[in-house]
Amino acid sequence: MTTRRKPTAIRLDTADIVLEAAPAEPEKARRPGKQHGKTKTSDRVEIGGDAIDAALAEAQTRVEAREVRRRGFRWGRLFLAALAGLISLSFGLAVERLIRELFARNDILGQIGLGLLALAAIGLLAMALREAIALLRLRRIDRLKAAAEKALEDDDSRAARRVLGNLAELYSDRPDTARGRAALDAHRGEIIDGGDLIRLAERDLLSPLDKRARTQALEAAKRVAVVTAVSPRAVVDIAFVLYANLKLIRQVSLIYGGRPGLFGFFKLLGHVVGHLAVTGGVSAGDSILQQLVGHGLAARLSARLGEGVVNGLMTARVGVSAIHVCRPLPFIETGGPAIRDFLGELTRLTGGATEKGDEAE
Amino acid sequence: MPTWWREHRGTELKLTTWTDDARIAADNLADFATGLFTPTVRLGVTGLSRSGKTVFITALVHNLIHGGRLPLFAPWSEGRLARAYLAHQPDDNVPRFDYERHVATLVEDREWPHSTRQVSELRLTVEYESAGYFSRTLGRGRLNVDIVDYPGEWLLDLPLLGKTYDQWSSQAIGLARESARKSLSGPWLEALAGASAQGPADEVLAANLAESFTAYLEACRDDRHALSALPPGRFLMPGDLAGSPALTFAPLVRPASGQAPKESLWALMERRYEAYKTHVVRPFFREHFARLDRQIVLVDALAALNAGPLAVADLEAALADILACFKPGSGSWLSGILTRRIDRILFAATKADHLHHEGHARLQAVLARLVDRAVERAKFSGAAVDIVAMAAIRATREARLKHEGEDLGAILGTPLPGERVGGETYDGETEIAVFPGDLPADPEELFDAGRRPAEPETDETWRFVRFRPPKLEKTVEGFTLSLPHIRLDKGLQFLLGDRLA
Repeated sequence: MTTRRKPTAIRLDTADIVLEAAPAEPEKARRPGKQHGKTKTSDRVEIGGDAIDAALAEAQTRVEAREVRRRGFRWGRLFLAALAGLISLSFGLAVERLIRELFARNDILGQIGLGLLALAAIGLLAMALREAIALLRLRRIDRLKAAAEKALEDDDSRAARRVLGNLAELYSDRPDTARGRAALDAHRGEIIDGGDLIRLAERDLLSPLDKRARTQALEAAKRVAVVTAVSPRAVVDIAFVLYANLKLIRQVSLIYGGRPGLFGFFKLLGHVVGHLAVTGGVSAGDSILQQLVGHGLAARLSARLGEGVVNGLMTARVGVSAIHVCRPLPFIETGGPAIRDFLGELTRLTGGATEKGDEAE
Repeated sequence: MPTWWREHRGTELKLTTWTDDARIAADNLADFATGLFTPTVRLGVTGLSRSGKTVFITALVHNLIHGGRLPLFAPWSEGRLARAYLAHQPDDNVPRFDYERHVATLVEDREWPHSTRQVSELRLTVEYESAGYFSRTLGRGRLNVDIVDYPGEWLLDLPLLGKTYDQWSSQAIGLARESARKSLSGPWLEALAGASAQGPADEVLAANLAESFTAYLEACRDDRHALSALPPGRFLMPGDLAGSPALTFAPLVRPASGQAPKESLWALMERRYEAYKTHVVRPFFREHFARLDRQIVLVDALAALNAGPLAVADLEAALADILACFKPGSGSWLSGILTRRIDRILFAATKADHLHHEGHARLQAVLARLVDRAVERAKFSGAAVDIVAMAAIRATREARLKHEGEDLGAILGTPLPGERVGGETYDGETEIAVFPGDLPADPEELFDAGRRPAEPETDETWRFVRFRPPKLEKTVEGFTLSLPHIRLDKGLQFLLGDRLA
């Protein structure tokens, strides 16, 4: 038989006790009035640190492994890097020459040039810093998602508690999530299994955000459909579709707490395109639906309307992918939004548009 | 290891006569008719004595009525629960469940309710809005939940319905001679040896035998032994039948010839045993257990663990026997008109608050091992089964305890007055921190009597302390906060969630 820890019973006034994860309000009310002994409320983030760190580390290695597989020696990259080096060298040389010439012409001009250069350097540095922070934030969301998936799978309540803490931290400066965060805080103090905790987090904290993200996607899809239908030239609607899709991705990311800068946005874009490529095969049925709706039904009413619906559905699909990529938890209780949910709204919209068009004629 | 209960393994018990079946079918029909107007769920709360049936029912009602925190109960968390209240119960001849007094006992006196002495009933009406469009517009948005509370001892009677006096006698005597009970059954076995089954039917002798048999059963039930398989249950909790002839019988050694004359002691006992079954057990079964929709089986595994492996084995046997009396399975709505089947069974290890939550998974494993045959049977017949470690009322808080260089997950609570822990007796006011010991990772260890010492005194692997109910403070407005619990919401979601979807 393995050695098991013996049962112990100790009076509170003799023991060194750390109270665990006390929930905010109800537990305090429940606490007996007379309490002696060295009880202190511990920092709840400390609890279960090892398990979650392990989970995070594992998620990290998974990500890295994926990247390593993609890596190899790439001549193209070498070329680009060298080229970039040359360009920055020449740029530095040009700046250096400029400053020198300014000084040669007039000392004051030189001083001004130097000052401007310093300002530019500060600006660049700040931008880089902001980009780095944004990238870190995106990575944090990715890791959070991986940790949540693992906690859900293992039904590990410590890891789940840690995930909930990180989630609350992620949204701590978002006043519209105050209610959800308060609910999560209360759940963390109770004895709830790990998987259930993640489910509760999804329900309490993320479902309002899901609704907003979905509305955004729907709005964008509608806008694209209408603009495509009424735009005078193909160039205009191509430009608009591009603009609307990029904006949608950015907005969805903002809703879920990511604040992508320029590079972060490119990274996000890559993820979304990747997701689209992966789910493209899965949603083949949806594509057929698109064909039917776009080129069959609506096209019979008007070729332009048909194109409008197809473009709108494409935007919706980009929105769905963005939601899947940006959400800090996986979809658990529902499979997440699907194109089907958007179809009704879009066709209703174009139906209304045709009626209006008929009236106008 | 008792083997007597394995005898009818795998056979379907025939517990009811055809007249019973007819009455049950008629009752079902009536239920179906009334259910057309307001759907009703009969929730069977099954558990041996001291497993916490009354506390579970009280906590369930209190949390639903007072809007307690039930985050995992979907109707609550989705905000679809409009209100819940105690309605007039359907049967006028059954006492009402004394909900208010139980709440007062728990909240104001901070004591556990006394053991239940008679059957009582309650109907909880839940008003809700369905999440689905059709059931919201077409349905009534109301669900009645009928719950019956009864002394857990009486549950032990149900297996008797499938046994003759002869079978029961030989089983009871065989059990009393086993090592676990030898020390307790001595006086009764002596009295039994002095009685002749073929002798005259002497009333005084019968009363003496019944008395010493009852004394033996009571000794077995004591906390130090915590044995469970102790039929007939009315001997321990007679209710309103105390002293009646139906309770004045005891097992006898079967006469060697196999036959006993008409006026013999054996014949008298046999007649009374049958009368007990007819007048006591069968109506109890028919009225309260034959028509259940959902069932929760409460098991106090910790008390049995406290008492040692023999108590655990005994608990397993008693549960197997009792659970064989219920009919799990999924029924269609059509067949449901005449025969009811239990389509969801929740096995709950109660008093999970006596353990730090790190130990809950192991407690669930122990329970799963205890009831594995019943779970198999229920799954095979198509019923949904879940196993959960639960505390209907959470009496403790959790803490980490640094003790002798070890970091222990401990619980804080106030032991009951007179509870002895580690050589110290507590007064019911002092709060202590307890680490109750680790449960084994492999539950088989508990069932293998050879691997652990049998004597409870020398066994210090676990010690589960009994705590007072938690102190609830009132808000400024004078409202009492809802009763804290562990996984009561999860249990409710499993038992009732789909009916409130």
